Amino acid sequence: MDDARPLVLVVEDEPRMRRFLRASLGAEGYRVREAWTVADGLREAAAEHPDLVLLDLGLPDGDGLDLVRRLREWSAVPVVVVSARGREEEKVAALDAGADDYLPKPFGTKELLARLRVALRHARAALAPEGTVIEAGPLRMDLERHETTLHGRTVRLTPIEWRLLALLLRNAGKVLTHAQILREVWGPNATTQSHYVRVYMAELRKKLEPDPSRPRLLLTEPGVGYRVAEGTGPDPR
Amino acid sequence: MLGTTAVGAASRAVLDVPDVEMLYVVAVLVTAVFLGRGPAVVSAAAGVVGYDWFFVPPVHTLDVSDTRYLFTFAMMFGIGLLVSSLADRARDAAVRAEAEALRGTLLSSVSHDLRTPLATITGAATALRDQAVDPETRDELVRSICDEAERLERLVANLLDMTRLSAGGVEPRRAWIPVDELVGAALSRSEAALARHRVTTEVAPDPGLVEVDPVLVGQLLQNLLENAARHTPPGTEVRVRAGRVPGGLELEVADRGPGLPPGEEERVFERFHRGGRATGQGAGLGLAIARAIAEIHGGSLLATARPGGGASFRLRLPSAGASPRVPAEGDGGTGAHG
Repeated sequence: MDDARPLVLVVEDEPRMRRFLRASLGAEGYRVREAWTVADGLREAAAEHPDLVLLDLGLPDGDGLDLVRRLREWSAVPVVVVSARGREEEKVAALDAGADDYLPKPFGTKELLARLRVALRHARAALAPEGTVIEAGPLRMDLERHETTLHGRTVRLTPIEWRLLALLLRNAGKVLTHAQILREVWGPNATTQSHYVRVYMAELRKKLEPDPSRPRLLLTEPGVGYRVAEGTGPDPR
Repeated sequence: MLGTTAVGAASRAVLDVPDVEMLYVVAVLVTAVFLGRGPAVVSAAAGVVGYDWFFVPPVHTLDVSDTRYLFTFAMMFGIGLLVSSLADRARDAAVRAEAEALRGTLLSSVSHDLRTPLATITGAATALRDQAVDPETRDELVRSICDEAERLERLVANLLDMTRLSAGGVEPRRAWIPVDELVGAALSRSEAALARHRVTTEVAPDPGLVEVDPVLVGQLLQNLLENAARHTPPGTEVRVRAGRVPGGLELEVADRGPGLPPGEEERVFERFHRGGRATGQGAGLGLAIARAIAEIHGGSLLATARPGGGASFRLRLPSAGASPRVPAEGDGGTGAHG
C-alpha cells in the first residue's frame, strides 16, 4: 500500500532543517520530496502532485508567499508554512495568501505532525460530498435540520452566530483570520471591521463555553484570528 | 551699588591679582563640570567683566586706564573658553562611561543566561553521541535538551521583544476588543505555566470593548500570569480581575505568594531583576516587557503588596473613544437558520 502514504513536498533551503523534517516525517510514514527554491518548489508541485506542501518563507530566490499565491492559481493542495518570522502580521499575510496553517520556528515534532494531520484531513473533507452534520467535541451542528446542540441540549443561535459557528466548525483545528471570517460571514465589504467578529465571538462563547473568560472550544489566536479546538482535551505540545 | 563697592574693596584688600585669576578659572571650571559648556562660556565672560569692574583702575567703571589690560582680558577669556570646553569633554566621557558600564552589565547578564541552557544542551547532546548510556539516563538527557531548548527560545523571544520595545518606535496597533477576550486568550496561553495553581477570574458578564493592541496587551497579561506562577507555591490562588473603568481598562493579577519585600515594588520592573525567592528560571525580563507595553499605550503598571499577603500587579490602560457600533441583526434569533 505504498501509494497510500501521503506525499509531502518540503520546500526549505536550510539543509539541517530538511534533514530533521525528512527524518521525522519519514518516521511517521510520510513520503518526502524536497525542494529548496521557489522555482523548484513550483516545478515539483506541478510534477509530483504532493498531498501537502510544507513551506519555509525565506527562500534564496524569493519569498515563500509568492509560491503560495502562484500555487493557488491552479492548485488547492494544503500548504503549511513554517517560518522563523514569528510576528502576527506575517502569520496573517501567509494565511490570507492562501496557506492553510502557519507554524512558527522553532517547533516540536508533535506540534508539526498534528498540524499536518489537520491540513490533510481538511483537504480530504473538501473533496468528499458536503456532510450535513459537523461536530467538534461536545458541539454538534446539523446543517440540514438547522439545529445546534451542546452536550445534546439545543442552543439557540442568531443567523450571524449560526453562519460564524458553522464556518469555524467546518475548519476545526485550523486558524481562520479576521479577514477570512469577515468575508465569509459579513461579505467582502466588511473585511476591516474586525470588532464585528470579536463581538459575535464573545456572544458565541457566552452560549457555548462554561466559563467564557477561559474558553476551551472557541480559541483566540491573538492578532491573527480564531480556531476551534479539536477534540476535547488540551492541545498536545 | 554700595554693597558691590564694599565687596570690591574688601576683596581688593584680601586678594592679590593672581588669586583673583585663580578664582576665575575655578569658577569657570565648576560651571562647566556641573552645567555644561554654554553656562561656562557665559560665566567666563561675566568673570572678565567683573574683573574689569572691581579690580582694574579706575575701579567701578568698565573703563580701562591701560591698553595692556585689554590683552589680559583676552587671555582670561581665552583660558575660560579652553577650560570650559575641556571640562565639558570630560563630562561627556563620564556619561558615556556610565552608559558603557550599564551595557556591560546587561551584556554579561544576557551572555550568562544564553550560555547556561546552551551548556546543558551541548553537554547532554554530546553525551548521547559519545557515550553508551542506559535507557533511563538517555530519557533524562533527552528531556533536559528539550526543556533547555524551550527555555532558550523563551529567552531569545524576550530579548527580541525587549530590544524592539526599548528601541522606541513601536506603535500599538489598536483594535476594539472585548475585555473578556483579552483575559481569555492570555489565560489559555498560560495554561501550562498555571497548571498547578488555582486560577480565579472576576470579569463582569458584559465587560465591554477597549481599544488596545490585542497582541501586546495579551503578552503583557501572559507575562504577569507567568510571573505569578513562577514566584508562588503550587496550589495557591492566582486571581485575575478585569473591567472597564471610565476612560479605559483596569486589570489586576494578584497572588498569594511571598509578596514583595518593602522597597522592591519598583525594582521588580528593572531588566534582569530576579525576585529573591524565584523557583523557576526566568531571565528577569517579563515584568520589564510588561511595563514597557503598558507605557507605549500611555498606561501604567504598578506592583503593590496585597492586603492579607501576596503581590498585586495593577494595570491601567487608557481607551478614550466610544465603542464602535456593530450592526444589529434583523430578528431575535431562533435555532433554525440556513
